Amino acid sequence: MSDTSKEDELIANLRIIIEGCATDPIDLSNFSTTTKVQEIGLDSLTILDMFYDIEQETGISIEQEELVDFRTVGDITTLLINKGA
Amino acid sequence: MTHPDQSVSSSARKRVVVSGMGIVSSIGLDQDTVWQNLIAGKTGIDTLSSIDTSECKVKIGAEVPEGVVEEQLKLLRRRPVDRTLDQSIVAARDALTQAGLYDSEAELENQDISVVFGTGAGVDHSLYNAFKLFEEKGPKGARPTTVPRCMHNAISAALSLQFKLTGTNYMVVSACTSASNAMGMAFRMIRDGYVDTVLTGGADAFFNPFYFGIWNNIPALSKIEDPLKACRPFGVDREGTVLGEGAGVLIFESYEKATARGAPILGEILGYGESSDAKHITSPDVDGQVKAMRMALNDSGINPGDLSFINSHGTATKGNDSCESQSIRTVLGNGVDQVPVSANKSYFGHSLGASGALESIASLLSLKHGLVPGNLNLENPDPVCNVNLIGANPVSIKPGPVMKNSFGFGGGNGVLILGPHN
Repeated sequence: MSDTSKEDELIANLRIIIEGCATDPIDLSNFSTTTKVQEIGLDSLTILDMFYDIEQETGISIEQEELVDFRTVGDITTLLINKGA
Repeated sequence: MTHPDQSVSSSARKRVVVSGMGIVSSIGLDQDTVWQNLIAGKTGIDTLSSIDTSECKVKIGAEVPEGVVEEQLKLLRRRPVDRTLDQSIVAARDALTQAGLYDSEAELENQDISVVFGTGAGVDHSLYNAFKLFEEKGPKGARPTTVPRCMHNAISAALSLQFKLTGTNYMVVSACTSASNAMGMAFRMIRDGYVDTVLTGGADAFFNPFYFGIWNNIPALSKIEDPLKACRPFGVDREGTVLGEGAGVLIFESYEKATARGAPILGEILGYGESSDAKHITSPDVDGQVKAMRMALNDSGINPGDLSFINSHGTATKGNDSCESQSIRTVLGNGVDQVPVSANKSYFGHSLGASGALESIASLLSLKHGLVPGNLNLENPDPVCNVNLIGANPVSIKPGPVMKNSFGFGGGNGVLILGPHN
């Protein structure tokens, strides 16, 4: 599977996961790699929960120090691809 | 505004009024509906539908109808996170709205309002889910947000965050006395000049397999299977209480501030008393209850004979109702026959940490309408409960001070004296 299709698949999964773990409803109508994390209101706790759900779903393990400041959704998908998600 | 001077003299004490009320309960999510059901003698107790009770001894309770809170949360652009917390948010919105302190159309700004809120079980749905995950998967199964989701003050924190309330925020946790204790603290904070406005009350929503399951093994729940007849406060045929869920929120405010901004004044808090039995963790005690009632009356400066009625704790357990009756007789003395005694738990169920708030709201509605709801199911009063019990039908009263009793597991007693606005 190409990186692009892998990224598309991750984006689709991320959207589902974020919708499930966000306390407040989030507008994900234009959700893509260039979407800025801040713009869609992903706070630090929602990001923690999001990675928890990803770990549970995919079996990958993400260390605390890898949870850097993510600027865009693409930064998140890059990390996940690098981790073999 | 805070006033750190701790040597507030009695002459400097402020009057404390109620400027807003919000309610989420099995008999309604607004004051009018709740009042109509109280006067019509309609109970919220029914066969439980939100959990599987097939292995439980008890299968009834007073549930908030499925989906109604979720609908309200959508209007606030919130997702459901925990049943107790969610119900608190909805009740708080309505109380703040009535007080003129929240407008869903306007942009929210910080307000110097404190949150002092009661709960018995706290966010027990969140805790139940977290325990299940932990048991299943070990420490790695714990959601990273488990701590902020499951802490007791998740509720007061959420209220502060949702409505941008920048006074203090904390919870009061004392089982069935929680809401009355919280309201008592809120009352003192305003009366003694530390703050002007407090969002207070209490909430409990514990219909999940764990919490309802463990309650089943306490011999305090009614074994009567008919939901309409199961909760019978002060009846000789009472067999125990019936659990209920809900949230009651009241906005307490200094009289000066409320009148200056033209807020509705729904009633006044005249006094508060509290005590601890220090006798037994679950059995009530006359001495402790009498002490709290007398303290509240002294605090308010009114005589027992001035009470328009007493809204009792009235759980419908053998132990509480006989003990409370004896305590009321002790406090009222020869005047006991002049003061009607009511109980609301046959309507709301026993909502533990919310009960003091729901029943205080019911009391203030009684003062508004000059009418006290009947004691539902009181067909055969227990001779041991020798106080002036209201019958099954509503009775008219001349609005005056009301004593609201709350007594809890742990031996805590909290008594409020509520009054009509004059």
